[in-house]
Parts: sequence; structure tokens; C-alpha cells
Amino acid sequence: MDKQEKYDDDLLRTFLNPDRVERAPEGFTSKTITRIQIEKQSSSLARSFLGKNLVPMVSLAVFAALIIFSVALPANDINPAGSLLWGYLRNPGITLPAINNDFFQNLRVPGWIPYLFIGFLLLMFFDRILFGIFHKHSK
Amino acid sequence: MDYRSDIFYIRQVQDGKINAFSHLIDRHKDKAYNLAFRICANREEAEEIAQDAFIKAYRSLNNFKMKSSFATWLYRIVYNTAISLVRSRKNKILAIEEFPADAVDFLSSCGSQDEAVEEYRSSLVNFAMQKISEDERGLITLYYYNDLDLEEISKITGISRSNIKVKLYRARRKMAEIIGKTENKIVSYHG
Repeated sequence: MDKQEKYDDDLLRTFLNPDRVERAPEGFTSKTITRIQIEKQSSSLARSFLGKNLVPMVSLAVFAALIIFSVALPANDINPAGSLLWGYLRNPGITLPAINNDFFQNLRVPGWIPYLFIGFLLLMFFDRILFGIFHKHSK
Repeated sequence: MDYRSDIFYIRQVQDGKINAFSHLIDRHKDKAYNLAFRICANREEAEEIAQDAFIKAYRSLNNFKMKSSFATWLYRIVYNTAISLVRSRKNKILAIEEFPADAVDFLSSCGSQDEAVEEYRSSLVNFAMQKISEDERGLITLYYYNDLDLEEISKITGISRSNIKVKLYRARRKMAEIIGKTENKIVSYHG
């Protein structure tokens, strides 16, 4: 601290009394606690509704998605909307670069292995989604 | 006098006891309110800021890692809220242009001479505080009223230590000049 700084500091310490802080108004603590309690009650009400209904809501959403899929993807081409979507899914019009798949063609694996692999991938995918939903909720 | 540490009450609140939070409020409310008031210079706004800060702190208490003290964490919320409020205000504080030279006459109603001197000094400090910027007011409050060191002030404000030193130097200089000039005026007014 140089001389000027020391002088200013001393002057401020003389004038500025740390014991003379502006005190919080009367009832500050009780008002704040009341606000916290009100907020907690309203958030717990909202959370309890979600908490109680989260599992059926997820089931309902999956169920609805399956129905939509079954309607939109018919076995035959009678439904025009379904046939459009199905047509796109069959031939999305994306060209991928050709790869040398001799290795895979020469590979001999039991026929059920690809299904098992796809099954694992799907289970992993749903597991991550459900973990994300329920773990976040339990926090 | 309550000698239990903040950590004791924080753990209780984390265990779901809301009322333990009232001990933390009681302990820190005056300094939190004073910081908000010194920055925004409005009692209603200061109360709102301090209350909001406690509520925000309560909401995030489960994530509180105890790396810094509860007070440092709380003051950071108060400081940032108050600074952004003042900056968002179109009309800044309506500072009194001149300190009333006859203000000393009104102090004769104080009970004792010591009380009058305290009152006079306090109003002069308030006057000088209005003449500096909001972040300088925050720094002066944290340094002189809350008695914090540069390291803690840096954690609260997010300003580097060296920058705080420079800003404090300037703020002190301005305030000392204002106090000095005002005192001279008062002396010449009273002959």
C-alpha cells in the first residue's frame, strides 16, 4: 500500500463502521422460510402428479406410438399414407458408398446371431432411455 | 449465541429439515441485505434480492460441494443479482448532487455527541457511495463491511485479484475525495 492508498484506507475505516450495516427488515427470516415452504409445496404437488403417473404415461406413449406405426405401415399398399411412408422406408433414396464386403460374405455365423445382435442394440437403446427418464426423476 | 457451524445446518437442510435453514438466514441476512442495499440503494429491492438469494441457495443446497463457504456462495448470488438489476434499470440511482451543508444541524437531535458523529459519518459514507459505480459499491461493501480478503472477493465477483486491487484503489480514492471536499464545505458553512 502506498502513502495515498494508506491515507484513503484509514479515512474510509474511520468513516465506515462495519457494525453499522443496514439490517434486514423485521420478519425477514420468517418471510423467506414461508416463501420456501410455499414453493416446496407447489413443486412437490406437481412432482407427485408426475411421479405417480410417469410409468403409465411412458407405457401410454409407447402404446400410442405402436398403434400409429401399425396404422401407418400396413401389410399391403391399400392405405395411401402408409404406402408412401412404407415406400420411403423401403427405398429412402440415399446412396451409400460401395464397400468391399468379401470378408462378411465369407464369414459363416449361425443365422440367429444377427437377430441377437439387433436385439442387444434395441435393448441397450431402450435401457438408456428408461435409465435417463427414471434416474433423472429419482434425483 | 449459536456456535454451530454453517456446515452443521447445511447437512440438516440436506436431510430435509427446512427449519435448520432459518439459522443460516438469521446468521447471514444482515450482511446479504446490506450488500444488496449498498449496490442497488433501494430497501424494497434489496429485500427482494436478499430473499431471492436465500431461496436460490436453498434450492441448490443439495448440490453445494462445501468447496467455498456458504457466505461466499450466498454473497455471489446477491452480488450478481444486484449488479444485473442496477444495470437493467433505465434510471440509475437518483444521487443527491450536493451533501446538505446544514445536515449537521439536524444531527443535534441525536442523543449523544458520539451518536451524532456516527450518524454524520454514516450519512457522509452513504452520500459518497452514491457517487461511485455499482461494482465499486459492491467491492467497497465486501471489503470494508463484510471484511473479506481479496481472494474471497474474487470468488464472489468473478473479478481477478489484481483487477480488484485496481478497482478498490480507484473507489477508495473517489470516496476519500468526496468525503474530504464535503467536510471542507461543511466547515466553511459553519464558519
